[in-house]
Amino acid sequence: MSNHTVPGTMKSPPEMKSLPEALRALPQVAPERSAWPQLAAQLAAQGIAGTAPTVLAPKPARRNWRWAVPAALAAGIVLVAVAWPLLQRPAPAVGALVATAAPVAASIQTNAANSTNTTSTQSATDARNADTQLASLQQHSQALERWLHETGRAAAPLSGQDLAAAAEIEDMIGLVDGQLNSAPQESELPLWQHRVALLEDLTALRYSSYKLAETGVALR
Amino acid sequence: MNESFAQLEVPASLIERARGGDLAAFEQIYRRFERPVYTLALRMLADAEAARDVLHDAMLKVFQRIDQYRNDAPFWAWLRQIAMNEALMRLRREHRTDVDSDSEQIVDGAAPPWVRADSLALERALGKLPALTRSVLWMYHVEGYSHPEIAELVGKTISFSKSQVARGTARLRDLLAPLAETEPCRITPSLAL
Repeated sequence: MSNHTVPGTMKSPPEMKSLPEALRALPQVAPERSAWPQLAAQLAAQGIAGTAPTVLAPKPARRNWRWAVPAALAAGIVLVAVAWPLLQRPAPAVGALVATAAPVAASIQTNAANSTNTTSTQSATDARNADTQLASLQQHSQALERWLHETGRAAAPLSGQDLAAAAEIEDMIGLVDGQLNSAPQESELPLWQHRVALLEDLTALRYSSYKLAETGVALR
Repeated sequence: MNESFAQLEVPASLIERARGGDLAAFEQIYRRFERPVYTLALRMLADAEAARDVLHDAMLKVFQRIDQYRNDAPFWAWLRQIAMNEALMRLRREHRTDVDSDSEQIVDGAAPPWVRADSLALERALGKLPALTRSVLWMYHVEGYSHPEIAELVGKTISFSKSQVARGTARLRDLLAPLAETEPCRITPSLAL
């Protein structure tokens, strides 16, 4: 499975040991292939660190770009095709972030189509309410993301625990986004509610450090 | 794991160099934590490729946020938390949240089998536990997390964490017991001569 790095510890010492001791005594292992070359290429590509040396094999990144450009173009065309009719009517949520605009626009379009085709006034009203609620959530989500983006650089460094919490919330937002991409229409509202709740948590976490940075406190 | 927090600390100057975009500093940090992070992920996931992905993703996340790191918190505690979250997220994504619900706690006077089992046998037995049971057992016994902390991390109750530690321990005992029983019968090369 992996390279054992401490071969001398393969045999346990004969003395009595508890389970925690036995588990802690297990040798550390290293991956068969280092993750560093890929990391270095990504750090360089994202502008986080200096240019990766040529020995760092930036091939995977190049391969990604080869697919990423046509994929981005295709996504752009689909986005324009889907969003264009919606831009002709006053829909407040259409201006949502590009990353989430496609599923959002598709949802609004589907909702709009449903509401015009239905013969029931009640269901039309419900659909309009759901649309309104969805649009409101999307607007709120957009505002929170904008604030996070604008204040991110200005905020004071977070503690290790807060950073880990922030990373976990961001992961969960990513999961919700993934679910939104494939969710049926009726599941979108709770997913957007969850997304906004997570963004609010992240905002609360960042807010304290932002205020500290603003007042010049706790910057190390 | 074998290394303490103190052994895994990072000099402030190294963090500063990484903040300044020094690739060599990032590499030093990576080398320092490659094995601890990979081992943690491997013990939780029991899958070498998935553990390598967790190593990569956790390191990238930490490097992307290095500007936000405050030196008063232990670096390893921060990185470990992120790696653990990544591993748990992977378990959830892959729906590997099965747990051990069969094993019963057996308390007898006999020495537990891990007393005599070698590391390889213990690793194999660990790998046979359900993913979430193994992760909970590892977090509790090795990483030193409390039951309330584990409950929060895995999104379950404190009782769940306690029961998984008990059941995982019982299951390990079952898996290792036959090995421990046969061990005294092994003939060493010197005796065979």
